[in-house]
Amino acid sequence: MEIIHILGVLMHIHSVLTSQDTFSEELLIKPLYSDQVYTHFHFSTKWDVDMDTETFNHSRLFPRALGEIIKRFNVQELHVSLTGGLWRYENWGYPVVDAAPGAEVWAWFRPDTGDVDKNWKLLANSLSGLLCASLNFVDKSNSISPEFSFQPSGAIDSPNVNNTYLRYASLPREIVCTENLTPWKKLLPCNSKTGLASLLNSGYIHNSRYHSVGLHLRQICQDESCESVSLDLQQTVSLVYDYGILGTKDWSLSKLFGQGVNGRCVLASRSEIYIDITSTTARAFTLDPQPDEVLTSVRGGHHSTFGKYTLPRNFFNIYTKFIDKEIVSLNVPPVLHANQYLTGYGQERGGIVTKVYNNHWSELDVVLLQDIPWYVPIYLHTLKLMSNDIEIKPVALRYVPGKQRERPYYLEVFIKLPPRSTTSVSIDFDYVFLKWQEYPPDANHGFYIGSAIISSILPVARNYTGLPQDGTLISHSFNASRSGYLVQVRTENMVITLPTPDFSMPYNVICLACTVVALAFGPLHNITTRRLVMKSKKKESLLVKLKKFLSFNK
Amino acid sequence: MSVKNPVDEEVKRASIAQIVTTCVIGAIIRCCLSFSKYQSIIANHVEISTPLNSWKRVSEGLYLLSNNINPYSGDLLHETPFSLYIYRNVLRLFQGRIEYMFATVDVLTGMILFFSAKKYVEESYKEEIVNRHQYAKDVSSYLLKPDKIFLSPYYVLLAYLFNPFTVLSCVGYSTTVFHNFFLSAMLFSMVHGIAVICGIFLAICASISFYPFVLIVPGFLYFKNVHRSVVKALVSLKTFLAVSVLIVVMCTNYGKDFSYLSNVYGCILTVPDLQPNTGLFWYFFTEMFDHFRELFIFAFQINASVLYLIPLSIKFRKQPFLLTVAILTIISIFKSYPSIGDVGFILSLLPCFRHLFRCSQQGFLVGVIMLISTSLAPILWYLWIYCNSANANFYFGVTLAFAIAQIFLLTDILFAQVKREFVLKNGTEKKVDGEESLLYLE
Amino acid sequence: MIVKQLIFLVILHAVSTKSQSSFPNKGHTNNWAVLVDTSRFWFNYRHVANVLSIYRSVKRLGIPDSQIILMIADDMACNPRNPRPATVFNNANQHINVYGDDVEVDYRGYEVTVENFVRLLTGRLPPGTPRSKQLLTDEGSNVLIYLTGHGGDGFLKFQDSEEITSQEMADALEQMWQKQRYHETFFMIDTCQAASMYERFYSPNILAVGSSLVGEDSLSHHVDPAIGVYIIDRYTYYALDFLENVDLQTNKSVGEFLKVCPKSVCISTVGVRKDLFQRNPDEVPVTDFFGSVRPIDLMDQVAIEPLVVDVGQRKVVPSTKRRKYAYVQPIVNVDTVSL
Repeated sequence: MEIIHILGVLMHIHSVLTSQDTFSEELLIKPLYSDQVYTHFHFSTKWDVDMDTETFNHSRLFPRALGEIIKRFNVQELHVSLTGGLWRYENWGYPVVDAAPGAEVWAWFRPDTGDVDKNWKLLANSLSGLLCASLNFVDKSNSISPEFSFQPSGAIDSPNVNNTYLRYASLPREIVCTENLTPWKKLLPCNSKTGLASLLNSGYIHNSRYHSVGLHLRQICQDESCESVSLDLQQTVSLVYDYGILGTKDWSLSKLFGQGVNGRCVLASRSEIYIDITSTTARAFTLDPQPDEVLTSVRGGHHSTFGKYTLPRNFFNIYTKFIDKEIVSLNVPPVLHANQYLTGYGQERGGIVTKVYNNHWSELDVVLLQDIPWYVPIYLHTLKLMSNDIEIKPVALRYVPGKQRERPYYLEVFIKLPPRSTTSVSIDFDYVFLKWQEYPPDANHGFYIGSAIISSILPVARNYTGLPQDGTLISHSFNASRSGYLVQVRTENMVITLPTPDFSMPYNVICLACTVVALAFGPLHNITTRRLVMKSKKKESLLVKLKKFLSFNK
Repeated sequence: MSVKNPVDEEVKRASIAQIVTTCVIGAIIRCCLSFSKYQSIIANHVEISTPLNSWKRVSEGLYLLSNNINPYSGDLLHETPFSLYIYRNVLRLFQGRIEYMFATVDVLTGMILFFSAKKYVEESYKEEIVNRHQYAKDVSSYLLKPDKIFLSPYYVLLAYLFNPFTVLSCVGYSTTVFHNFFLSAMLFSMVHGIAVICGIFLAICASISFYPFVLIVPGFLYFKNVHRSVVKALVSLKTFLAVSVLIVVMCTNYGKDFSYLSNVYGCILTVPDLQPNTGLFWYFFTEMFDHFRELFIFAFQINASVLYLIPLSIKFRKQPFLLTVAILTIISIFKSYPSIGDVGFILSLLPCFRHLFRCSQQGFLVGVIMLISTSLAPILWYLWIYCNSANANFYFGVTLAFAIAQIFLLTDILFAQVKREFVLKNGTEKKVDGEESLLYLE
Repeated sequence: MIVKQLIFLVILHAVSTKSQSSFPNKGHTNNWAVLVDTSRFWFNYRHVANVLSIYRSVKRLGIPDSQIILMIADDMACNPRNPRPATVFNNANQHINVYGDDVEVDYRGYEVTVENFVRLLTGRLPPGTPRSKQLLTDEGSNVLIYLTGHGGDGFLKFQDSEEITSQEMADALEQMWQKQRYHETFFMIDTCQAASMYERFYSPNILAVGSSLVGEDSLSHHVDPAIGVYIIDRYTYYALDFLENVDLQTNKSVGEFLKVCPKSVCISTVGVRKDLFQRNPDEVPVTDFFGSVRPIDLMDQVAIEPLVVDVGQRKVVPSTKRRKYAYVQPIVNVDTVSL
């Protein structure tokens, strides 16, 4: 018995010395301009491993289930997000991680992958089992390979990026609920027993305006020279709470999550909470207990102040109290935000319009990606870009027309947005008629068109909380001024109601159509196979007929 | 040019002034409607523009071509590269003015039909004069009368230029206009006996819309029986085959690969696009079970093309022009994506058979059904698609009625021809052995 | 020759009867559960509550998530119409949140179809199906199958657009028997005219119970005025009541469970089919189907094998090729892009 214990400890020490994986958990809480508070959980596992030789049979902090999947399907980078609700860029600024409503999956496969489509389908199936989501509906008919958006966010060894190894799909109809959170929590080293994950109580976190669960895996440079890479797994939960739903402006961890933190996770090397106390973005409030440390971050010319808490081993809670002052705060809209909507009426034809707002004083280069399903055929010659009512031309255009039941429509436009402008990108489409078994069971709910994605590198970092490309923790984003800040704005998704046939009619339709065909066949058959003869009107008696028959036979 | 009239009847023809005025008015109507605000409404109607002949899709294809994207990689475009080439160059000829292009082509089609009908009427009158001694004694009221029949070509022109089906088809920028142009050219060369031109235009028609390839049989019969030249018949057949191959080669070169084959002929034959139209295919294959789909596709396509070809050709081998019109009617009813432009073409050829109207019985019925279904179709479409108060069954019912009207028209005309032949041979007396009798088919 | 064949047949018969009599003693090694809700739309909230009630009991009594296949056709917990997000209650007084904090749904939404259900039972799933979506039973598995939704005489409706007939159900179970995919099956169904679904079964070792007989409707229990829909069905409500009082050390039998909803409370008559089941239900413990059997062998001599620590593999072997990694610009430079 004791021998086992000692051997176990030795093994643990050995693996600690040789495996070099670290786990950090951080929570960022940021009150937003409009009566909401944004909380972002960031669980980051970094494992210095050689992907070529690692078999993922043994792992310590890194979830083995995920490791097996990425090894089997030769995945270089994987991003999965399941979101409920829409992120309002105009009022809330930029989140740490952008996510479109519904489910979004994209993956980069290694350059030595043989059949990328097969691997992609199997990967989606495995992820659907891992996260209890219907990701198995992802296949060739709703995946695209964008050329400009979704460049690899990790470090790669070849300078040429070939987008045939990239697949992106979105399922706007997916819901996210406890059944997705449960297996996601089981990927964490401490599960949800201790550490910040103990705050993730589904009854509370789903009672919010926006909730998003994400999984992002990539390889990052181990050090400055970047001659070897390590695996970086980031598991994120983003939530936006409404004071109206909470019932009070004095939020606390127990009000938000149902309980305080159940101590720190012992396997974590860092376990911290950051609260944004920059008073310019929100009304002033006091914190209880006081932060262990107050940090100032200057990023892109914008100052932010954060209160930092290091989690203790015991139960921990934070309370706030709002100071009720008469402040009128003005919202400065972010540099870039966008909307998407449908135009047209009736179920015959319509249009998709994406409106992109540039509030910056200079030009902005953006890439607009639209992944339109095959049942919404768009006409490229109707693509029109209007900026402040002047027609402009895109810098570059990539278009792959879709094929019914095989491939969606992929449109990527590189636009130079004029300063302080509203640019609308509109395109027309037709409503198609599907076969009756292709309609879902609730056919009159409609069919979803996914969000448009507008990627840009912003010159300023106002209201920006995203991580820098080489950073893996929220604390890496402090004082992380760079030449540009990447945002990928997601718009709303849309629902179109396709015209439905009458589902109860198959036999009737067959009968009626065949009747009409028979109506043609009958007379034409008569005309071609019979002759006209003149016959007496009077009906012959049976005797006469019989006589005629006998005489004819003779 | 006068014809010898044994009975010294008056010949009435249309004067050149009348013809020119008609053409001008026809062109003006089309241009006026094209420039009005109703043009886009008309062009968007499913009865007028189907996935195969919609100008919106041609514009999309031309735009993709000009941007170096293969227009056949998607499945919006169902026109061959050859037709795209024609449209592009004709459009360039008109300097991009689509309205004038369509109006001109339509009026030209009308004129070609006029000359074809003129030649046909003259030929049939000449033949009847020669055969008059074979007919029964009291059938003078059934014979062709020069004061009536020589006006038929003018009526054909009127019927084509002022037929609401053809006018709407032209204003809606449907490429059926071009298809009708090539068909009329084929008819013209067939009637005038120019075998090579006939073969060429028939190959073009068949490449655009697959079904006219069956017209090779009536064409062959026309050259053999009416022009009495087997050589010409064989020449036309050979030209047809040669030009078809040539077109395929040209298309492959222009389109850089064979993907256009599945887009054009694959679409016509396997009907993947289920957009409603005036035909029978769309709702049938919307509601079809998957495992029966191939069977019924086979059945319907055979029905539309070759099923009635041989029997009708045997029965009407002496009247190949009527046979051509009959085959065209069958195609326009049963093809996979019909539109009213096809129906308008058939209706405008009907004045050539005015002598048959006397023996036809269902003219009123056909007229009424056609009128009702044509006026109900847009209303029920609006109710289904825009108001969401009707459903697909209503529109389906109207398309069924429209198909039935055309079927009755076809069978009526053919039956009238058979009856007229009988009467000409046997006289109008309805007595057999001194008793009252009736005509029976047996 | 004939005599030899006769003797052979006699011996075979003897052997088979012997094995049949010893049948219950060997075989039951693990427990699986297939819980299916077939109804969509908010007004069918009660069917989701039904299936989650059974899920909760089964999980509480020890069957792990990896051996439960849960199929729910629509989302009630996180439905925007649910005033209490991420919860599904079986009672208007919010006694039990049957959705809970630890739920794994294997088939959800549009995946709940007749084809997927039959493929799951027979094991003929497409390659690439994850393990959590497969019914990996063997000849020692006791399988609990629970179906709820809208049914009729001889069919069960899936998502208001298709049906599974009782003959198809019987054939699927026969395929399971032929492939030795179950040891014993307990088939529960809570729909209208439920008994019609098990009338056609012809495979052995199936015990079936339905919440109503042919010609009767199964009724729902009560409305929650806050939500506005019926939140649980009568049969499952009383079944859950019974199961809440069951724990792993219980000696309650399946026979008692079959009597759980008398006509006075259920209004419909609970139908039972016992003829295909070889044991007497009164002697079968409830945990044979609802709980999980984990065979525990007590050993007093433990042989410790050396732990396999593959040090050689753990060391990061430097690759022979010197590679240089770099981050990629997130958006390419606009001037380098060709039109």
